[in-house]
Amino acid sequence: MAGCASHEISDEEAKRMIGSKFLRTVSTLAEFELRKLRHDSSEIFIRGVQPALWLLVFGTALTSIRAIDVGSFTYLQFLTPGVLSQSVMFVAVFYGIMLVWERDLGLLNKLLSTPAPRSAIVLGKAISAGVRGIFQAIVVFVLALIINVQLSLNPLDLIGVALVIVIAGMCFSCLSMCLAPIFKSREKMMGIGQAITMPLFFTSSAIYPINQMPGWLQIISAYNPLSYITDAMRALLLPGYVSNIPLDLGAGLLATAIFATIATILFRRILE
Amino acid sequence: MKAVEAMDLTKMYSDFKAVDSISFDVDEGQIFGLLGPNGAGKTTTIRIALTLIRPTSGTIKVFGIDCVKSAASVRQISGYVPQEVSIDTDLSGYENLLMYSKLYYTPKEQRGQRIQDALEYMELADRQHDLAKTYSGGMMRRLEIAQALMNRPRMLFLDEPSIGLDPSAKTAVWNQIMHLRDEFGTTMLVTTHDMHEAEVLCDEIAIMNKGKIVADGSPTQLKDDMGGDMISITAHDGDCSLILREHGQLLVSKPDEGTYELVVAQGEKAIPAVLESLEAHKIHVESVSLKKSTLDDVFLKYAGARIQDGGTWRDARVTRLAMRKRKG
Repeated sequence: MAGCASHEISDEEAKRMIGSKFLRTVSTLAEFELRKLRHDSSEIFIRGVQPALWLLVFGTALTSIRAIDVGSFTYLQFLTPGVLSQSVMFVAVFYGIMLVWERDLGLLNKLLSTPAPRSAIVLGKAISAGVRGIFQAIVVFVLALIINVQLSLNPLDLIGVALVIVIAGMCFSCLSMCLAPIFKSREKMMGIGQAITMPLFFTSSAIYPINQMPGWLQIISAYNPLSYITDAMRALLLPGYVSNIPLDLGAGLLATAIFATIATILFRRILE
Repeated sequence: MKAVEAMDLTKMYSDFKAVDSISFDVDEGQIFGLLGPNGAGKTTTIRIALTLIRPTSGTIKVFGIDCVKSAASVRQISGYVPQEVSIDTDLSGYENLLMYSKLYYTPKEQRGQRIQDALEYMELADRQHDLAKTYSGGMMRRLEIAQALMNRPRMLFLDEPSIGLDPSAKTAVWNQIMHLRDEFGTTMLVTTHDMHEAEVLCDEIAIMNKGKIVADGSPTQLKDDMGGDMISITAHDGDCSLILREHGQLLVSKPDEGTYELVVAQGEKAIPAVLESLEAHKIHVESVSLKKSTLDDVFLKYAGARIQDGGTWRDARVTRLAMRKRKG
């Protein structure tokens, strides 16, 4: 009996060790992403140019044209959460391209030669995308405040937005990490990045309300994770905007879980 | 126990055999070299040992641990310096080491000491807080080796450790590799296409060509197997091959170009006799040179081509194409 009990304990201990290794790997990868950002944050500002154009040109133009009915909000108010989630998606989709890049350089081989579990490496990179996404979103958010878009500044809402951004970063980086082991070359992944971001953006609720879309687009939009991400952000940032936040978060997390699982399964193929 | 034990190891990429049922073992505390041209299957072999790719058939164990069944355990005791640049150039040298000591789950209280030891050992301490992108090629390579030491590996895999380095940086890297063996008893498996590197570094060598091990032994043994020295002769007055065969083993015979390479027991003494008999046949010899045998000659003998020959580069390309085309 005694021997049996001690065996159980060591088994449990082994499981706990694997669990702690998993978390340590994830937090290490996120930590060094932050350190990289601290060394050089210029990329975040360069990547802020496109969202700035959406807000300053597209947003102000459509606000004065009043072509899209967005209820009691100004169009810029409606658009800002959409541009926020779009900018995070653009950052995140880059992680699949980076995976191929790191494979070509030798960084990925090296990383995979450590005892770190594959799934922890995928998740670590996904969280890194979320972390980078937060900083990217801050640039867009500050810009929106400068051009005087009325947004909620309630700290609780902002913490909620940060959480949504991390989910978005994880979701879309996992999507692109699913594609990297299939397409394998940098050139193809660049093309794929373009080929998925724009359709995801235009078929989501980021720039127009779902209820004003044609029927077929509404169906596509209902399967587009970016719609849920954008909706959650709107509900947090626009006082009075009605959305089912638990459903939005659930949809984002479900998509992340699916993409992360596929990415982990396919991960080994990227080296072969 | 053997440090590495490979049995009938094979790796196929669709119908291309990158590694063709090789068997070898590495003794503990040894520097073992896989020598061969690009595309010979050296890197594939290393990656199988590091559990980065799975073998098609056969087994390989590192310190008795099976690389397929217990991949994570093998990775915990192994260090790896890939052929390509594998440090993150957007981080400082110190951070590169810190990251890997964390990825190897080194206990917090040991991390600082290990990092400083490795930095001093690799002579990088004074530049540790500079971004790695400002380092020279030799410094980057030394940082990569330092990084691979973070888990104090029992087994270190070095893929072309001195590729692309200038001669003085190369020598520095070699010295550090040999120190690792002599001071800490680290077992190492090194791949190289540089004969000189293999001779300087390795206790034991396996020569690889087209996925197969064609010869193995210590560098001295392999050279002794050659049976002596090489005489190179240039002469354009007709075919000399019949005459030269009487004096030793004719390795290269190209009458069109007028070049011949002859292996003889004692080169210095053989030259006068060879020249005499050629003159007796009224053949004018334009030049003669004597070369003590090298590993390159060993390779030529077993693989039928010089290691830097054009053909071998084509092999490399074939391998890469096959790897790229591989489905599923």
